[in-house]
Amino acid sequence: MDVQYMLEILPQFLSVIPITILIVVLAAVFGFLLSIPIAAARIRRIPVLSQLLGAYISFTRSTPILLQLFLFFFGLPVLLQLIGFDIRNIGPITAATVCLIFFNGAYMSEVLRPAYLAIDKGQHEAAESLGYTPVQKMKRIIIPQMGPIALPGLGNAIIHLIHDSSLVFAIGVVDIMGMATIMSGDTFGMKQVEVFLTVALIYWGISMISEQIIRRLERRKKRVLRRTGYEMKKKEAGYSV
Amino acid sequence: MFDIIVVFESFVEILKVVPKTLLLALIILVLSFTLGATITYIQSLNIPVVRQVIGVLQSFLRGTPNVVLLYLVYYSLPLVLAWFLGLFNVTFDPTSLNSTAIVIVTFSICYSVFQSEIIRGALHSLDKDQIEAAQSLGYSTTQVLRKVIIPQVMMEALPDTMNAFLIIIKALSLAFLVTVVDIFAQARLVGAQSFSYLEAFVAAALVYWGICVLLTYVIDKLENRMRRGYA
Repeated sequence: MDVQYMLEILPQFLSVIPITILIVVLAAVFGFLLSIPIAAARIRRIPVLSQLLGAYISFTRSTPILLQLFLFFFGLPVLLQLIGFDIRNIGPITAATVCLIFFNGAYMSEVLRPAYLAIDKGQHEAAESLGYTPVQKMKRIIIPQMGPIALPGLGNAIIHLIHDSSLVFAIGVVDIMGMATIMSGDTFGMKQVEVFLTVALIYWGISMISEQIIRRLERRKKRVLRRTGYEMKKKEAGYSV
Repeated sequence: MFDIIVVFESFVEILKVVPKTLLLALIILVLSFTLGATITYIQSLNIPVVRQVIGVLQSFLRGTPNVVLLYLVYYSLPLVLAWFLGLFNVTFDPTSLNSTAIVIVTFSICYSVFQSEIIRGALHSLDKDQIEAAQSLGYSTTQVLRKVIIPQVMMEALPDTMNAFLIIIKALSLAFLVTVVDIFAQARLVGAQSFSYLEAFVAAALVYWGICVLLTYVIDKLENRMRRGYA
């Protein structure tokens, strides 16, 4: 065990953390934006679209993320060629980000859908009878109530995203794990335990920090709701892990 | 560019490793369940220092991705074992450790944390009155455990445990990193042989999808059956 060495390589890892953060943030934001229309289409039960989306969600849930990454890496250029774009080589970062956006979109839609369905029908009816427009109804009545139900699930999604992003090194992105594999080669296999222990500690740190942020958000949300006299419904937002 | 016949050929090749993958996942599931139950038991004893240590370990296992843990165990377990056995003057060659064993150890440890959560949740759902009623009927401790607690806890933990089984099957795709051949690793091999990675990966995706749909169906049936028994 060489703690000195672990401290020496730490700056090198810190220099690639932005790549991980970039991928995670892009996947989280765009995945969330994607999940809203998916959930809406599934709630409305739009005939063909709903079934197609159901198959897509079932697909992302039942195949390993590693396989999806490889599918996007090799398949996206072929797909793009079919619709006329000739891009033989999309970068691994692009492929990884697009893949994680689609994965996360499916995951988050399965958080949002039960959260929406958990809200009492009477709330919709009351809002409508008061003459709210659909937009007003969503903004003032439905979304504020969906918040506390969906937030734990969305938080879980982010934590999963951070963990899953550690796999993008498999298609050639030099993120934290990519750096680690390079480094364990550089040391001729002498200091691998130290390298991967450092990586584990970094990920542990990232997970703990994001968990703290998410928990603080949840607490604030709960406080707002308590002030407005809303009692939190303890409804699990579906989908475990 | 995309050949459907190659997909079919790869599909057949990949099917050959499905039993091995399922067996591996089953071993991991059983081991992690046992380990998880042990953790839950130790936690319930509330021994001061031990509880904190396990808490930190749990947070560590939950906070680090599986790949990192896999590599960490892959490189450190042989050394730790050699050192440990060296204490008893047993010579052990660190390179002789099978990588399948490493995969099993890693994932069993990883998922024991989740299993212990599942078991704890199931225990919580059990009504205390049930135990008191059994005791008042003169059941011995083992009888209470065997006839009252375990059937109900199993019932409660079954869906999540089967869910964990599916997650383990998917997580095993990481095993290719340490040269263990599961469905995903086989797809890589098949793809490398025919220079058609995309087709091989599509075939692998179909295999995974099939397994998941099939297992989900079986679990649903099983659960319905068990629930009916208790209603």
